[in-house]
Amino acid sequence: MSSGGHIMAGIEEEEEEEEEENMAAWLLGIKNLKIGPYHLPSLGPHDVKVRIKALGICGSDVHHFKTMRCANFIVKKPMVIGHECAGVIEEVGSEVKTLAVGDRVALEPGISCRRCNLCKDGRYNLCPEMKFFGSPPTNGALANKVVHPANLCFKLPENVSLEEGAMCEPLSVGVHACRRAKIGPDTNVLIMGAGPIGLITLLAAHAFGAPRVMLIDVDGHRLSIAKKLGADEILQVSTNIEDVGEEVQKIQSAMSSGIDVSFDCVGYAKTMSTALNATRSGGKACLIGLALSEMTVPLTPAAAREVDIIGIFRYRNTWPLCIELLRTGKIDVKPLITHRFSFSQEEVEKAFETSAGGSNAIKVMFNL
Amino acid sequence: MKAVGICGSDVHFLKTLRCADFVVKQPMVIGHECAGIIEEVGSEVKHLVPGDRVALEPGISCWRCNVCKKGRYNLCPEMKFFATPPVHGSLANQVVHPADLCFKLPENVSLEEGAMCEPLSVGVHACRRANIGPETNILVMGAGPIGLVTLLAARAFGAPRIIIVDVDDYRLSVAKDLGADGIVKVSTNIQDIPEEVLLIHKAMGAGVDVTFDCAGFNKTMSTALSATRPGGKVCLVGMGHNEMTVPLTPAAAREVDVIGVFRYTNTWPLCLEFLRSGKIDVKPLITHRFGFSQREVEEAFETSARGGSAIKVMFNL
Repeated sequence: MSSGGHIMAGIEEEEEEEEEENMAAWLLGIKNLKIGPYHLPSLGPHDVKVRIKALGICGSDVHHFKTMRCANFIVKKPMVIGHECAGVIEEVGSEVKTLAVGDRVALEPGISCRRCNLCKDGRYNLCPEMKFFGSPPTNGALANKVVHPANLCFKLPENVSLEEGAMCEPLSVGVHACRRAKIGPDTNVLIMGAGPIGLITLLAAHAFGAPRVMLIDVDGHRLSIAKKLGADEILQVSTNIEDVGEEVQKIQSAMSSGIDVSFDCVGYAKTMSTALNATRSGGKACLIGLALSEMTVPLTPAAAREVDIIGIFRYRNTWPLCIELLRTGKIDVKPLITHRFSFSQEEVEKAFETSAGGSNAIKVMFNL
Repeated sequence: MKAVGICGSDVHFLKTLRCADFVVKQPMVIGHECAGIIEEVGSEVKHLVPGDRVALEPGISCWRCNVCKKGRYNLCPEMKFFATPPVHGSLANQVVHPADLCFKLPENVSLEEGAMCEPLSVGVHACRRANIGPETNILVMGAGPIGLVTLLAARAFGAPRIIIVDVDDYRLSVAKDLGADGIVKVSTNIQDIPEEVLLIHKAMGAGVDVTFDCAGFNKTMSTALSATRPGGKVCLVGMGHNEMTVPLTPAAAREVDVIGVFRYTNTWPLCLEFLRSGKIDVKPLITHRFGFSQREVEEAFETSARGGSAIKVMFNL
């Protein structure tokens, strides 16, 4: 500890001389997570150092955990896991004007290049050079501290907790989907899947003004949660593709004014086929759930009714809106946090087991 | 009726007595791409007089339902469309039709060109739905009649570069003559897709912003989804198979949207303007002509069904 009396020009505090070593949860192999040292890069002029306080587990984190890959992303070397996070600013870079030490912030995970045409066009979520927390080879955020660009850290209002801050990430997927699908007071919505993404999309759709939102799922328990979260209609469906015709009839019966937009938050041939058949002529079916690679779907009859298919990949420019929706209470994400764990080797392993277990676990949250 | 063109759907009805969910259960007059001369007008008709040369928009929608009131009348569930059972078509000496669906031809636009407004409308409607303009580089799958009118429409909408693909050399050469910036011969083999996508990108020299699938097969749709840039659009214009197996998720993960195109709305005035100004020239697409007799009708349909060098087969009555 240096006192004010010493004046030793040129000596800067280095990472290794701080009191604590930065620790993180490293994915080393299939179902192999180990807490170990995580040496952070030095702070650039536009960066901040954040002490992570809340971090949620996503389905993609579980997928990396179970298989060491997710779509075309393969984990080839040890990687810190986790990306849904919020924390407290500990240090700010020299050019950072809008944030100060002590600020509570939610983090947007993805650093895009800001130079390519897609970035300049505002569609930065599609940037080919995207560096995203927990998407190999970029280290994630389940750590004591991370370094991140200040412009991707969003200050939390007083009445929004750090856990809610971490929930902004999944919530952003729903918000981005509602924007792309132009949800509003005229759009009756059908959501396939009452998992975390389906539920968040339900909340977002209502916040965007959708008059009626219906959820379908194979799991009765998840549907009861959807009802508690405000679903106007629910329907339990099967995994049997032959049932599509009958299910579409039940859906259209329950939603007599027609379905303007369907959100497939699962991404199977059955859910997408149901979406395409159930949506009215001239409506939209949004594919959010990125499960399969190839799908066999009734594309032509849908195209012949001008039902458009809108793709959703992550989000862009959603944090300010998510924070505002949380601040005003228009959206309440707290019921989605079902399990909490702290940051130790044992707790990390238990947390991932719980999240991978499904059904009762919606959002598993770390408190650091 | 003075000019009636044969469409792929007409041929399909002739061969199978059905097209998608439409089944011919009783005798039905065939044909829907048509133009003619007004012989008589109803008492309330103010904007047309006998002697006027007109192109006909085939489909009579209900004008009362919600989709009609929103302007998307092509999707009207009560649509009565020439030669879609059970509604009679227009390969006849005379027909009766609502005046508001008859559009007066400019002096320099022939009756045959008037009949061509119908297939051209499909291309025009697709270009509108896909927001074609000076910034959209286009890929067209299929150089048949619909692929070719889409090529012409896309150019008229200002598309800077248009690449067209097909399995047939002759049709590709026609596309080149009609102004395609590049042509790529492709196979029917689904394994060839990655290689063909590379060839397409090379021919384009830039990203593909919008792809029009004017064939509607698994292979063409899969190629379209793979070849289009992130954030771009794929329009399914060709009505191929019912169920399709395609890489939908990788496309959605790049926010490549799939836009459906069904017939058209409010396209005749624009088509006629394109033809009047010469911005579009459809005359090269009319490859075969027949008169209106039993023998010629049979020959005409045989010719159209053969495909190949027959692009648009036209009746002159």
